[in-house]
Amino acid sequence: MEITAWQIIILSIYAFVAIYDSLETNIGLNRPIQAGFFTGLILGDVTLGLAVGATLQLMVLGVGTYGGASIPDYMSGAVIGTAFGIMSGLGVEFAIGIAVPIGLFLVQLDILARFTNTFFQHRADKYAEDGNFDGVERMNLLGIIPWGLSRAIPVAIALIFGPEIVDALVNITPQWLLNGLSVAGKVLPALGIAILLRYLPAKRYLPYLLIGFALAAFLQVSMIGVAIVGLALGLLVYQRSREQLSIAGKGGVDEDE
Amino acid sequence: MKMSDKVVNNQPNSENKITKKELKRIFFRWFLAGQVGWNYERMQGLCYCYSIMPVLRKLYKKEEELKKAVKRHLQFFNTEPDMAHFILGANAAIEEREGTDGEEASTAIKTGLMGPFAGVGDTIFGVIIPTVILSIGANMALNGSSVGVWIWLIWAFVRFWLRWKFTEIGYVQGTKLIATMSDRIQSLTEAASILGLTVIGALIPTVVTPKVPFVFQSGEVTLEVQQVLDQIMPALIPVILVAFVYWLLGKEKMTSTKAIWILLMASIILGGLGVLGT
Repeated sequence: MEITAWQIIILSIYAFVAIYDSLETNIGLNRPIQAGFFTGLILGDVTLGLAVGATLQLMVLGVGTYGGASIPDYMSGAVIGTAFGIMSGLGVEFAIGIAVPIGLFLVQLDILARFTNTFFQHRADKYAEDGNFDGVERMNLLGIIPWGLSRAIPVAIALIFGPEIVDALVNITPQWLLNGLSVAGKVLPALGIAILLRYLPAKRYLPYLLIGFALAAFLQVSMIGVAIVGLALGLLVYQRSREQLSIAGKGGVDEDE
Repeated sequence: MKMSDKVVNNQPNSENKITKKELKRIFFRWFLAGQVGWNYERMQGLCYCYSIMPVLRKLYKKEEELKKAVKRHLQFFNTEPDMAHFILGANAAIEEREGTDGEEASTAIKTGLMGPFAGVGDTIFGVIIPTVILSIGANMALNGSSVGVWIWLIWAFVRFWLRWKFTEIGYVQGTKLIATMSDRIQSLTEAASILGLTVIGALIPTVVTPKVPFVFQSGEVTLEVQQVLDQIMPALIPVILVAFVYWLLGKEKMTSTKAIWILLMASIILGGLGVLGT
């Protein structure tokens, strides 16, 4: 299908708003799954958008911007990948194959945005010196611009020049590569899971990992069901550790000031 | 807080008393613009100053005092954005009680709390809760349902409310915050990790789903490899894959970005050869 100008504009604005949302309001627009869903909605193939978004989402479950680290931009990746998948008619595998390298590449712009804001910080220092406190406040708000543009510009460029690129890619993409990419879509979630296991105390709490696995693999319990069991186990441990603390507290020194 | 200090200080009158109105303004400022000015030099420093400004303006009427306070709050700050509300609330209480004498206490609570709060916040708000909600959501999405997208929206409202509560608690507790929070935080993180790991365990067979389409044939006998694997254990391939990537990530100089490339290449080769399929 052909992409129209208004679709490009809407998706670029979405990218701008999404990164702001991930920094502040957190209604989830910057999550690949939402970005894929929204792109699918705008371009008329929600199922494909959801599938692309969900696969990217599972890849980066445990990846966060801790301490200001930059992470691959799979939001923009999901938007561009989904759009290309729909435009080319080649579907989910093709879309993921595009989204992953794009997301990895766009991390550079995240770094650029964070770097650009240093300029506003220095202006704020100067305004504080001059007693221009409104100026200080304004500098913080201006920080939105580098953030938003770092997402909106690449999405706009990719979608504007997309049709030609898509045509070229479709012509050179062999079937075996598409097969390989569809396998990648099933394999890559293993990375998201492994990152989480590295981040959490997986060795110490291995039994809980096994319980979750057995429930899903052998008993086919749904995700929500497993989450409820996990919550119950977590609450039990929480209560026990609170009780232990209060027992220890009674024998201890009076901690009040 | 001892009474004697209060007398020495500018007596607190309605002029420089923080009301719910100021607390709300801090809350909304951080909620709406607590990271937009993020930069490599001082990270959330600019945003913190912006957010606490309403309090500073209310408390310091003399320009020199205000200037000093603003400069002080423009310094380095970085923590998990949800947890930051505790610090903003507590900091507002300190500024209110100690005024210009509270410079040290104010800096101390910021720098003292931002590290530990970042650790807990990243675990609970950054990893566990997104993992649980998005696992459910992504799983539904792969089956073509958008319900998971909306579950996150409900969480967003809960989080909004929580962040306001954090601001209030921070303000009421003030400097006592550290003592009251620390042991509870430990138990909470533990419980959250257990919930997270249970869900991750279930994720392995559900979302890592490559199959082995290989079929052995010798004369009349055909042997489907996947069937044999399933008899040993369901989801054997996913378990091996996750274990392999886990091991890979533990290697020196390995980053998640490098791991993506390795997995992408390996999938294309194994998929192209027909060893792995979908």
